[in-house]
Formats: sequence, structure tokens, C-alpha cells
Amino acid sequence: MRHKPVFQTIGTVAALVLLAFALPGPPPPDPVTLRYPAHWRAPVYDFSKNPLTRQGIELGRRLFYDPVLSRDSTVSCSSCHLSFTAFAHVDHALSHGIDDRIGRRNAPALMNLAWARHLMWDGAINHLDVQALAPISHPDEMDETLAHVLQKVQAKQPYPRLFWEAFGDSSATGEHLLKALSQFELTLLSDRSQYDRVQAGLDTFSRQEQSGYHLFRQYCARCHEEPFFTNFSFENNGLPLDTALRDLGRMAITGQAADSLKFKVPTLRNIEFSYPYMHDGRFRKLREVLQHYTQTTAPGARAELSATDKADLTAFLLTLTDRAFLFDPAFGFPLEK
Amino acid sequence: MQYRVTTWLSRQTALVLLALWLLPPPASGQAFRIEVRPVWRGQAIALDKAVQGPAGDSLLFHTLKFYLGHFEFLNHGATVFQDPGYHLLDLEAENSLDLLFKLPENLHFDSLRFAFGTDSLSNVSGALGGALDPSRGMYWSWQSGYINAKIEGQAERSPARGHHFQLHLGGYLPPAETLRKVVVSAAPKPRHLRLDWDLASFFEQIDWPTQHSIMSPGPAAAQAATRLAQAFRNHAP
Ligand code: HEC
Ligand code: HEC
Repeated sequence: MRHKPVFQTIGTVAALVLLAFALPGPPPPDPVTLRYPAHWRAPVYDFSKNPLTRQGIELGRRLFYDPVLSRDSTVSCSSCHLSFTAFAHVDHALSHGIDDRIGRRNAPALMNLAWARHLMWDGAINHLDVQALAPISHPDEMDETLAHVLQKVQAKQPYPRLFWEAFGDSSATGEHLLKALSQFELTLLSDRSQYDRVQAGLDTFSRQEQSGYHLFRQYCARCHEEPFFTNFSFENNGLPLDTALRDLGRMAITGQAADSLKFKVPTLRNIEFSYPYMHDGRFRKLREVLQHYTQTTAPGARAELSATDKADLTAFLLTLTDRAFLFDPAFGFPLEK
Repeated sequence: MQYRVTTWLSRQTALVLLALWLLPPPASGQAFRIEVRPVWRGQAIALDKAVQGPAGDSLLFHTLKFYLGHFEFLNHGATVFQDPGYHLLDLEAENSLDLLFKLPENLHFDSLRFAFGTDSLSNVSGALGGALDPSRGMYWSWQSGYINAKIEGQAERSPARGHHFQLHLGGYLPPAETLRKVVVSAAPKPRHLRLDWDLASFFEQIDWPTQHSIMSPGPAAAQAATRLAQAFRNHAP
């Protein structure tokens, strides 16, 4: 028993060491499953690489609404993507960013992003996780670098705790910041419009809406495919080139002449609120959009619509408004608990 | 007595665990270091320090950052060990130029194969961590994909304002993909290897009027990637 004190000391040290190893790790974050109508196909987003959790989504939401992501802390994602207008930049044909600089394109509505294969009007971005790099570093948008954003976020309470709870690592990394933003954006699901209720057999269309639905299927659904109201690909709907902006769309990315003036087909869900319309916001009213489709000579885009047809089609498009989505408190500005 | 035996036992266990934790791991495996050195006709390149072109024209580098990865150790052409990780080498962070590998004991190899650039899967997989974390300044923001090599500086012969040049070489889509495989000899089997990346011949052949600025994927970036990949060699074969 001569060694007893020595053993005791070593034993205590060992116990402390063991304790230190037994302690780490926050409680695992609470898993969240994205719920969508049974007849929708499976999302393309690979959730196994970024599993949704309550903590991750909450962190993403806070970041989405935080101007810390911009150089002078004046612009947040929500400056251009407002929840009440389906996350589009309402009233601004070309989005406004930092120092009131005007960008080249209209901010699209954000919803059902888990099904999107390409992002941006020309599909320049191939994955939702890396999309946020574009606004963060664009000189006309947030004019920051991700590395500097991370420094600022790291120094701002309560972010270290939120990163810890969501990812088990209190230091903000680019990977985790981007994945958190994705998590929040992936929850922006619009599937509660009148149209959706009709599909589920819980509601009916008026006679005018029904007639509009027929016209829609006849002329529009080829590109604005149900139930997402986009086929997620690139099409030319006959808009003439704006000679001031000279935006050739998809061709800038692929270099293929055949892609000239092709743009990503936007969803028509919540179209009532996501004006102005088209990649450059050239139309302010649905009336002007329908006017375009009746006048264009582009193959596959032209629609023969009488005045009544236009009224019916508009009535149908308004059934795509999803108020539960627009006013969902889970998507709005995060209030302190 | 019962009590004392148990405490003693748990103390013994704690002790054993402590010893396991404190002792170095059993010596299986051998460390292997690759020192990558950007050089100019054999002389180490330092940032912001001028080097001489063939006509006595001067050139200096402000930024030299590039990806190497997927190291494979080959013996008579067959892979005997591989490490699929990526490394971001940055002349500004000198220790990033020394790559450490843990090889199995007594591994026989005569050459190394590695990637100059990132593979296409990494370019379509969203936000990745570590060397590939998009915060490390090597991810394009206005489009998707990694910049496999960023080479910036000033050259007397560059026609750009301030004689600047800027090469952001990347692209993962055929036909303009920029990932290149490099094979260098590693014999005689050493414990470390110095890998020189000699940029002189690349810059001596560059067509300054058209190639001082390469900022997006395309034939110019693909061609530059090929020539830069040919510039790696074992310092002392
Ligand atoms: C200055 C206005 C502005 C800010 C700030 C901004 N965006 Fe955008 N956003 C746009 C514009 C404009 C586009 C379309 C760009 C294009 O097609 O080239 C866009 C496109 C997108 C898209 C692609 C949608 C699709 O369906 O293709 C997503 C996702 C998005 N933004 C998320 C964000 C996030 C996240 C932030 C904050 C980190 C953010 N935006 C900040 C203006 C902005
Ligand atoms: C050939 C494919 C195609 C057809 C058919 C088509 N569209 Fe489009 N639509 C597009 C594309 C592509 C855009 C985006 C064009 C752009 O911004 O340059 C678009 C944009 C729109 C927009 C603006 C959306 C926004 O958020 O800015 C509305 C509204 C619209 N279409 C309605 C319709 C209606 C109604 C019909 C049927 C009469 C129709 N489209 C038929 C391809 C098509």
C-alpha cells in the first residue's frame, strides 16, 4: 500500500481526463423531415449531406435576416427576398443592393428549392449550398467575402452557441454557415394554395378558374409544369433582348449558341405577389405578361387568348397564391425567444 | 472489503485508460513528407519578389494558391497506397506547402500520382469542409465550381493596367475541365520528397496580350492547366 497516494493522484487525474472526454458534444440536434404532398416527386437536394434539424434551420433563418452578411451591415438576404412577397424583391425590376447599387437581374421568388437542379436565371449555380456565395460577394449586392463574414459572425452573440447547437462546432465555418442557410431555405415550401387544396380534393375551382386551368394546361404547362409550375429547365419564351442589359441568359454559362436567350422557367406559385415579372422585371402586371404570350411569335410560347380567356387564365393563376406560406411565422423575421 | 476491491479495480481501469491515452500510438506506419516548392528556374519563388523572364523582363507574384490531392503511391504502376484528401497550398502560408502522409510500414513505391485541381464530384456537391471550405477564397461565387489554381501578380509584359495579371484556373465540365493528373518519380524510396513546381517555362510561353487574365472556365484555362501540371518534378530524382 506504499503507492497508494501516487495511485490516488493518478487516479484523480485519470478521472478528470475521462470526464473531459465524456463531456464533449452538445445534445444531438432535433431532426426535422421536410413534409410535402404525397404526389410530389422526391426532392433532388441530398439531405443525407445536410440533414435538416430544428437548430440548423433556426440558425439559417437568423443568418438570412442578418445584415452582418453584408460589408457595411446594411443588407441582408431578406432585403431582396421578402417573405410576404414569396421572397421576391417586390416593386424592384432590378434588385437593389448595397449603397443602393442596382443589379442586373430581378430577384426571383424563393420556394420549393429542394427540387431545383440549377439556381439563378441562367442556372449559373449548381447547388443550393453554394448559392449564397453569389450575393455575399457580389459588389452590387452584399460586397463581402465569406471569410470576413465568418469573422464577424464568430464575434457576434449568440452565433457561437447556435453553431455549436446545430453542428457541434462553435466556430463558424464556411461549410456550416452555407449549410444552415440552405436548411432554412429548404423549409420554404409552398404547397397550401387553393390549387393544392383542389388537387387534394378539399376544395373546388369556380367555373372561371376551371376554364383558366384548361387554358393553362393547353398553353403554359409545358414549361410551367405542375405541381411546381416549372419544369426546372431553360426555355426561350420569346422575350426580345433588352439591348441595354444584353443578358443572353443560359448561353453565358454553357457557351452554346442554342442556349441564347434561354432562362430558367420560374415557378408561377404566388405569382400574384412576385411582381415585377421576368429576369429583368420588365413587366409589372400579369396583364402585360399575358399580352406578351399572345403577341410573341416564338415557337412553343405563343398562346391564342381572347379577352375572356385572359380573365379566366388570370383567375386560375390567382389560385396559386399560398397565404399560409406568405404569412407563415416560421419563415418571418426571427424574434428573440 | 468488497468496496475496496471495486475502487481499486476502477482505479486500475482509469490508470490503464490514462496510459493508453497518454502513450504515443503504437509505432505502425511511417511518416512521409512532400515539400512542394514553387520555383523559377530552380530558385524558390517568394511573394512580391521579382524574377527575370527570358528577355530580362521582370515578373512578380502576389498570390499563388492551388489544390493538390488524391495522392497515390505507385509501385511498378500499381497503386499501393492512397490518400483521397485535398490540400490547399498557399505560398503565403508556408506550412501549407508541406504535406504529411502516414504510410504503412515498409511500403515500396517508385512513383507518385496526384491531382492538380479538384475532381468534378467536389464541384457539384455543395458546401464542403476543410481544404475545400468555400471560405478559403477558392470557390467562384458567380458560378459554381472551385478555382483550382489562383496565380496573380504583375509582369512587365502584361498589357493590363498596372501590368497586372490574374489567372483563376478552374472548370469541371467537359470539354473545359481543368483537373490534371501528375505522375512524378519517387525513387529511390526516401522519407520525404521535394516536389518542385517550376513556373518559368509556363510564363515564358504565355501569350501576354490574350492570356494575362483568365477568369473563367474555357479553352484558355484548360490549356494553362495542362502546361502547369507538366511543371511539377521531383527535385532530386
Ligand atoms: C441585392 C439583392 C439580393 C440580395 C441581398 C440577395 N439576393 Fe438572392 N437573388 C437576387 C437576384 C437578383 C437573384 C437572381 C440572380 C441571377 O439570376 O443572376 C437572386 C437569386 C437567389 C436564389 C436563386 C433562386 C432560384 O430559384 O434560382 C437564391 C436561392 C437566393 N437568391 C438566396 C439568397 C440568399 C440566401 C441571400 C443572402 C445570403 C440572398 N439571396 C441575397 C438578389 C439578391
Ligand atoms: C416555352 C416555355 C414557356 C411557355 C410555354 C410559357 N412560359 Fe412563362 N416563362 C417561361 C420562361 C423561360 C420565363 C422566364 C423568362 C425570362 O425571364 O426571360 C417565363 C416567365 C413567366 C412569368 C414571369 C414569372 C416571374 O416570376 O417573373 C409568368 C407570369 C409566366 N411566364 C406565365 C406564363 C403563362 C401564363 C403562360 C401560358 C400562357 C406561359 N408562361 C407559357 C417559359 C414559358
